[in-house]
Formats: sequence, structure tokens, C-alpha cells
Amino acid sequence: MTETEPAPSAAAASPASAPTGARYAGRRVRRLEDARLLTGRGMFVDDVRRPGMLHACFVRSPFARARINSIDVCAALASPGVRAVFTAADLNPDVRESWYTQDGPKVPDSPRPPLADGEARFAGDPVAMVVATDRYLAEDAAELVEVDYEPLDAVVDFREALASPVQVHASRPGNIAGRLTGTPPDAVEAACAGAAHVAEETFRQQMHTPSPMETRGIVAEWDGRELTIWSSTQNPHEVRAFTARLLGIPPERVRVIMRDTGGAFGLKVVPGREEQCVLLAARKVAGPLKWIEDRRENLLCHQARHESGRARIAFAADGTILAASIDHLQDMGAYPTPWQVGPGAAVGMLFPGPYRVPVATWTSTSVHSNTAGRVPYRGPWQFESLAREVLLDIAARDLGIDPVELRRRNLLSRDDLPWTNPNGMPYDHASPRETFEAALAALGYDAFRAEQRAARAHGRYLGVGTSSYLEPTTSGQPYYGSEEATVRVDPSGRVTVFFTGGSSGNSLETTVAQLAADALGIEFDLVEPVQGDTAVTPAGAGTGGSRSGSMTAGAVGEAARALLARLTALAAHRFGVGEDEIEVADGRAVVRGRPGVGATFGELAAYAAAAPPGLPEHLAGVLEASGRHTTPAPMLWANATHVCVVEVDVATGAVTILRHIVGEDVGPMINPDVVEGQIAGGTVQGIGGALLERQAYDADGNPLVTTLLDYLIPTAAEVPLIEYVHLETPAPGPGGYKGVGEGGAIGAPPAVVNAVVDALSPFGVKITELPVTPAAIVELLAAAGYQGGHH
Amino acid sequence: MKPAPFDYHRPDSLDEAAALLAELGDGAKVLAGGQSLIPMLALRLACFDHLVDISRIDALRGVERRDGTLWVGATTTESAIGADPAVAAAVPLLARATPLIGHAQIRNRGTFGGSVAHADPAAEYPAVVLALDAELAACSAAGGQRVIPAAQFFTGLWSTALEPEELLVGARFPVWSGRCGFAIEEFARRSGDFAIAGAAVAVELDDGEDRVRRCAIALLGMGPTPVRAAGAEAAVTGRPLAELEPADVGATAVAGLADVPSDLHGPQSYRRRVGAVMTARAFAAATAEAAARPASAGAGNEAATSG
Ligand SMILES: Cc1cc2nc3c(=O)[nH]c(=O)nc-3n(C[C@H](O)[C@H](O)[C@H](O)COP(=O)(O)OP(=O)(O)OC[C@H]3O[C@@H](n4cnc5c(N)ncnc54)[C@H](O)[C@@H]3O)c2cc1C
Repeated sequence: MTETEPAPSAAAASPASAPTGARYAGRRVRRLEDARLLTGRGMFVDDVRRPGMLHACFVRSPFARARINSIDVCAALASPGVRAVFTAADLNPDVRESWYTQDGPKVPDSPRPPLADGEARFAGDPVAMVVATDRYLAEDAAELVEVDYEPLDAVVDFREALASPVQVHASRPGNIAGRLTGTPPDAVEAACAGAAHVAEETFRQQMHTPSPMETRGIVAEWDGRELTIWSSTQNPHEVRAFTARLLGIPPERVRVIMRDTGGAFGLKVVPGREEQCVLLAARKVAGPLKWIEDRRENLLCHQARHESGRARIAFAADGTILAASIDHLQDMGAYPTPWQVGPGAAVGMLFPGPYRVPVATWTSTSVHSNTAGRVPYRGPWQFESLAREVLLDIAARDLGIDPVELRRRNLLSRDDLPWTNPNGMPYDHASPRETFEAALAALGYDAFRAEQRAARAHGRYLGVGTSSYLEPTTSGQPYYGSEEATVRVDPSGRVTVFFTGGSSGNSLETTVAQLAADALGIEFDLVEPVQGDTAVTPAGAGTGGSRSGSMTAGAVGEAARALLARLTALAAHRFGVGEDEIEVADGRAVVRGRPGVGATFGELAAYAAAAPPGLPEHLAGVLEASGRHTTPAPMLWANATHVCVVEVDVATGAVTILRHIVGEDVGPMINPDVVEGQIAGGTVQGIGGALLERQAYDADGNPLVTTLLDYLIPTAAEVPLIEYVHLETPAPGPGGYKGVGEGGAIGAPPAVVNAVVDALSPFGVKITELPVTPAAIVELLAAAGYQGGHH
Repeated sequence: MKPAPFDYHRPDSLDEAAALLAELGDGAKVLAGGQSLIPMLALRLACFDHLVDISRIDALRGVERRDGTLWVGATTTESAIGADPAVAAAVPLLARATPLIGHAQIRNRGTFGGSVAHADPAAEYPAVVLALDAELAACSAAGGQRVIPAAQFFTGLWSTALEPEELLVGARFPVWSGRCGFAIEEFARRSGDFAIAGAAVAVELDDGEDRVRRCAIALLGMGPTPVRAAGAEAAVTGRPLAELEPADVGATAVAGLADVPSDLHGPQSYRRRVGAVMTARAFAAATAEAAARPASAGAGNEAATSG
């Protein structure tokens, strides 16, 4: 049986996708994960049942900010099935170290106590943890925990945080979590002063909540010596490393197991506060301890994308960009996790985008508020694209230049690279201009303009918007820049590949099987990918930063290379010839020129296992090899252009997306289905962010959105079929592959916004705030003098 | 998101259910499809010591024609109503409202009676019940059966004229015949969401001059309960279609509404505007349907609908 099927589109089948000799990379190989996931046989953390398992539930502050005068747990402790009730006094002192590997121990991180100690800092702040024999009983008892709160004034709106007399953390004066800046602004100021036109706007993006289908969750089981953890994570080895530091136990005594993670989007890169509580309590209760974040907690406890920024772009009269700058402000909430100041720098540094911008600068300020903590979210710096691309459309209108034409005059081409942007970002191996043109060709831009005019004559408002970006993937920074894999051949001939994993929907098992089959020249079906169990997989940084494709490809490639060398040596020994006389192909090692003399991988594994006399020590035993890949580049640049076509109902403000085209260059594709799946998912999230999703608080800091009735995630009915145009500029890494995990979520929002503004161009509206709700559109139309005619 | 403890009862007959409700008093709540009640329990927004599950009582389920009316039993699922040709023929508005309720999975469990008793102001069935002046049949151990006219049924936000120990048994819908048209239009943020605003419209035209013989308009999402747009109905009744501008009908329908809600999805002014637009669109669609029917519709509306 073969798992491949013919590639449906010419672009996908393009030989550029397949390294020479590759049989599986570049193909739409059917996902190994699908059968179990689609038939309900996936294993998520809530599927873990352990004998005697106990269940945790949190008591959470109903106030945005309150002094905790006392906590009375007596009634809760007496409630049926309750085994323990923990407060800050019970758990917090046990914390040994609580830094995350990606940030290191020295980063100026904000406080992140497991349970609120003395003060609650947002509505939802965990104040106590109840442990009972089931979750129902735990929730019953949680209602009986009596907390004496003294409500305090809160700072709810992060834009007021700098000037607020309220301090979220005493150790963060002015509520500043961090402030980063680019080069001094003088050059930008000078360029602006001499410019024909300076476009300047302040953009505001609403608070999002990362909402994976599977919420967070953990099971921790302590046997007196070892801790076994089942975790919903995108980075099992970080859960292990963090836990070991948190509890002060050797990492070798911590085993983390993940099978399926039902979406993560950045939320699950590191363990959060509730997970810390469970880990700390695991040694204090008489049984495995489970906590599953429920949907209300998910909506209550995390925020992302809540930022604003004043963006400026200066132009010469012909539309040439002369300078660009952004002053960016982002909401940290009360307890950002992990350190969230750094990603703000990316907003500033990437603001010039894929354009020939000669001069630029930026600032990024991260402030605390009494709201849910900021977490990473798919393309965490995405605000740069929103601000730049929407501002470019505004500028185009002011300059009287078609927005597509304005971009053409400034976009970098493949031939312009390498090119270092004025903020120091070393762009290379990308194709912004080419991708832009390809995406517009897929639309038929001029034909669309004609269709738009015709529709307007009938009172229909169609619009098109584009958005282009360059995205750093596969960071080469320490910790992220290196990855390992181990490949083992069994006497059966089957090949097991052990790799870090952390697959949270990004199909790493399929990817690894494709790559290993190619690297070893064997059938796809012979490969057994194993990820996510720290007891057997090599350490690595997991899924995040659009790194796993390239890094895993590198690691598997290195491991396979080492294994082939070992196979060759074994075969040479077996047949008594020199290693240079052995050829390996199709799962066999044969003596050159003597096709009948050879052995399959399985036979060689059996030979090694039998360790016949005379077989050198280093070749005997289990036939396996490990390899480590260290990325040669500081980052791999992916780029894309989104083209969105909408229709706006000016009576209701309803936006219907008619088409959404993503032209993208993520290098050669390992599996076009997986690439397109990643783009589609990200794009849908971006559409949600542009039009639907919004977390919000009232003036007192009470969350207004506590269920999915109000947190509007797009459904299949709200998104069109997403169209793809693939360009493949290889990157300087394994297979030329680049990252693709985050881009969809970066590129979609500005394309949608620009399309809506374009549709409403007869009225002359400007959109600087998300989400673009129907009510907001009607308000903008009213402000522009349109009151709604008879439709 | 786990409910507080409750005792679960599953009576097999209406009498048994009524007796249980009488006996258990305030601490008891009727459970039908559970699509509104269970989420409220899970969020601990509500808490009851007893749930009385009426879903196995045969007498409460089903749709049938009774003396020129259509009877809809309380535990008939929304899906069953949507799929029943008798409903489509006799009360097209009910059939057309159904696909707008949530999603298929919800309609498979959610019931007619649950929707009406829950009385969400943005729900479709309550608006249809109100528009068509359906009669609601209720029953209790102490009071036996009684009939509540739709106009008296919806008393406030999520509250109805039902007594705590009273069960909704079903509703009797008048069957409109003649040159009729029906439409329900609503606007929701996403497919399947509760509407921001909507309107259910039924019209009958006279045979000769396309005058509006009667018109019923109920608005949803525009107040604490579904509301009849009595002013707009009066303004169009007796007038020839040619003189009527749907946008004016919409504007009249929302004029003077007192308690138009305001929330995260839109301020009052926005809902008012959408309510007017939806009324206009529903009125235009309903009148177009009616006008397209042959003048001498002696066979009645049903023949026309199924033909
Ligand atoms: C995601 C989602 C989307 C939805 N979208 C919509 C929508 O767009 N439009 C819409 O109209 N509805 C919507 N609903 C609600 C759905 O229609 C419910 O099924 C309905 O409102 C309640 O019906 P039920 O049978 O589930 O009642 P239950 O949830 O069992 O009960 C609801 C209430 O009615 C009472 N009750 C039920 N039956 C009786 C009876 N016979 N006598 C007395 N009291 C009774 C119960 O005690 C309870 O108070 C949605 C629900 C969900 C979960």
C-alpha cells in the first residue's frame, strides 16, 4: 500500500518541491495522524485516566484587583470528596526556580507566582486550588472557599497604564514591563521633514484569546521519586526542564508524555501558573493530579494581540518610501507568560516589511494592566504587518496612487536580496515582489476592478485588499537553533525515528516519516515516527517560531546520514569488503557490481544484534544513530502576499469574504497539504481577528466575554475556500525548507481590513481599529455621511 | 464548568411529570433538550436540586393537524419541525425559522417547547409564536390544562406566563390560507449565532388589488421579549402593495421601541437599524411571495405552498 496520492495542482507537483531523488518530500502524502484523529482515537491529556486520579479546580478572583485579607478553606475541606485545598502559603514557597529555557534565568521577567499571594491582579487570578476525587466535587467545594477580598482600584486599559496611579506589580514602576528602542529617531525625522507626504495613523488592535480546541491541561503523578507528567504542550522537553527547576529535582526523574495536542498557537510553549500549581501540589496529594482548563478559564486567563501603535511612513512624490517608524505599546496584562517584552522588538524591527525602506526606527513599550496575562500567539509580532499594510493603503489613497501600484514601486525582489533593513534585519532567500505579482495574477486584479465598478452600479460594494510581509522563521538563536533525532532499525526492517516533536496539529509525524523515508531510501510505510515522550526522544525546543519543519528535517537528515554510515560499515564487515564497495539503495546494502550480494536493513540489524565474533564493538548491538542539526542561518525568511476580496452590505455592515488568496514563498514544501493546512488555519485565525474575535473588559475590569457565545471564532460558514499560490525560493538550510506555521495569521488581517476599506471607498472611510464589526462599519459610514438608504 | 449536584427524574407520563413538579416545587426545573439549560447549569449561572426530564413523554412529542390548526408538541425537536412537510405546508414561517436556529447538532436536541419556554428574546420560535398568535397549552397538577395566548405569554427577559410547576404541553398555530406570504430575516454575527435582530413577517393580500388584508410582524432581538410591530402592521393593513415601501415599514416597525438592547456586538442604535433593515427585507419577501400567488387561491395557502 502506498500512502501517496497524485498531487492535484501543478504548482504543488512542481519538481522544485522535491529534492533530487526524493520520493516523498514535496508530495501530498496523506497524514499519518488523520486516521486516529478523525475517528476519535486521538489521545489528548483529558483522555488520560490513572488509578486513584484526583482533580484540581481553581478558585479565581472575581475582582480585577483586590487585597486578599484572608482565605477560609474549612468548609471546602469538609466538602464531599475533597482531598486538599491549597493557597499561596502552601504552594508558592516551594518554588525553586521558575524561569523558562527560551528566556534564561537573567531576563527581567515580571512576577509569576503560582497562586495569588496577598493581592489578586485580574478577574480570574487563581487564589486557591481545590483537589477532589472528581472535577464536579472540586467545583462544588471551590464555591465554599471563603476569600475575604478588599477590592482596589484597577488599571484596566493598558493605554492608561503608564499614567495610572495604580501599580499592578510593586516591582514594575509605571507599570512598565519593558521598553525597547531602535536607533535614534533623527534620521527618520529628517526624512519626514523633507518628504512630499507623511502618512501617520494610530492603530488599535483588540484583545484576542488563543482558543485551541483542546484547552490547556496536565496530569502529574509522583511516585515518591519520579514525576510523570502528561501535558497538553507544544514543547514536552521544556515542560520537563521547567518542572525539574521548579521542584528542584533532577530532570532525569521527570518524564513528560504528550500524544496529541489539539492546537496550541503559542499558548502551550511553556507551562503556565495553573500548571505550576499542579506540579507543586503533585507531591503533596495521594494520587495523580489532573487539571483540565475549561473553556471559561481559557477565555478568562490569556490574552494576545492587545496593542496599539503610532505608525509613520514618509514618501517622495512618486510614492517611493523614504522612512518608516512605529511607536508600539502592548498590553502585558497582569502575568505575561513567558517573558513577553522581547517579541515587541520584532514589531519594531519588522515594521519596514518587504519594502525598500532606507531609514527606520521604532520603540516598543510593554505595560502591565489588571487583565489576563499576555501569551505568545501565532505570529506574535503581527502588529507590524497590520500597521504597515493598512497605512500603505491609506497613504496610497492620499497620494492618489493605486495601492497595488504603490507597493510595486517599493517591494523588494528576489534579485534585491540579500538586503538588510534599516533596523538590522538581514532579509535573504525570499521573493516579495514575485509573490505579490503571482497572488495578484491569481485574482486577476484589473478584471476585478472592472467587476467592482459594475457591481457598484448595482448598489453592491466589493473591495480588494492586499497585505505583504516578510517573516523570520526557524530562529538560529541558542536553544532554538539546534535539534536532534535518533533513527533505529529493527531486525523487522522497520525504522523508528525519535524526535522532539511537540506536534500540536502541524503534522510532524507525517513530515518525519516522509523525510526519513527519503533520507534512508526506504518505503514511507516502514517508518514509525515517535515524538513527545521525553523518556525516549531527544531534547529540543518543540513546536514554535515556525521552526519544526526545517529543524526536524535537519535533525532527521543528520541522523539518517549517521545511520547510513553505520549500515555501510556493517555491510562491509558482513561481506568482507571495503566500505567504499558498499552501495545503499532501496532498503538494501549491496556490494557494488555484485547485485546478488547484499542485505536488507533488517538483516543488518539482526546481524548487529547477534554481534558475531569479530564484529567491532561500535557496530554491535542496536542498530541506531543520532544526529544533530544546527541551523546555519540566524533565521530563514518566508514571505507572502494575501489578497482578499469582500462584499460589504452597507445596510447592516456585514462583511462577506468572497475570495482569499495566499501567495507565499516558504521554500520547497515537504508536504503541500500540510503547508496549505497551516496557511489555512492561520488565515482563518487572522480573519477572526480582523472581523470577529474580541475579548473585552468593562471599566471595572470585569471580563465581558466568558463563553464562545460571545468570543466569535470564525466557522466554516464565515470563511471562503482559501486559494494558494506557491513560490519556492530555497533557504540556506535542510532541503531549502522554511517555516510556515505562523504566516497565515500575520498576513490575513490587513488584507481583510484593506478590502473592506476598498469596498467602502465611495464613502471614504478609514479603519484604524480592530475588529471591524458590522456595527463599527455602520458607524464609520454614518461618520462619513452615509445614513443608509433604501436597500 | 461542571453543574452543581441535582437529582434526575424521568417521568413517563404527563401526569407523572406534573405531579413531580408540584411535589418538588421551586427546586425543580424541567429538562427538555438541554441546549439552553445544561450550559447554564454547567456555568453555574443556575442551580436546581431536581431536573425533571420530559423528553420521554410520548404525549408531548409530535406535530399534527387539528381542526384547521397545526399542533406542535412541546418536545418535538427543532430538527423534526424543520423536516416535517406538514409544518412547511401549514405554517411555513415555522419551517423557515428552523434552519436559523443554532446548528444542526443543536436542533437535533433542542425542542420547540424548550425554545418557547426559555423565551430568549432573540430566539426564532418565540417570534413566530407571537407573530402568528399561536395558543400555548400549559398544564399543572393543581390547575390542569389552560391555554395562554401568545400575546400574554412572554412576560420579560427569559420569563413567561408559565408557573414554576407548570409544563408547556405544546402550541396550536392558526393556518393562514389565501394569498399569503411568509418570511423571516435575521442578522447574526456568524452562521448559527443568536441574531442581533430579526423579523418574522406574515402577510395576506386581497384577491383584487393586492391590498394587504392582514399582516403580522414580530421582531426578535429588539427588546427583553419578542415584540409585535403593531404600528407597522396597522400602517400597512388595507393599503395596496404598490403604495408600500418596505424600508418605511421597517422604520415604522422599530420606531418607538423602548428597551432595545445594547451589548458587545452593537449599540442600541445599531440594533434598531438592523431591525428595520430585516423587517424591510422580510416584508419585501413575504409580500412578493403573496403577490406571486394566483388571485383566486380558493385551494388555500397550503396547496400553493406545496405546489
Ligand atoms: C450554540 C447554541 C446556539 C443556539 N442558537 C440558537 C438560535 O440561534 N436560536 C434559538 O432560538 N435558539 C438557539 N439555541 C438554543 C436552542 O434552540 C435551545 O435548544 C432552546 O432554546 C431550548 O430548548 P431545549 O429543548 O434545549 O430546552 P432546555 O435547555 O432543556 O430548557 C430550556 C428552558 O426551558 C424550560 N423548558 C423546556 N421545556 C419545557 C416545557 N415543556 N415546559 C416548561 N418549561 C420547559 C426548561 O426548564 C429551561 O428553563 C442555541 C443553543 C446553543 C447551545
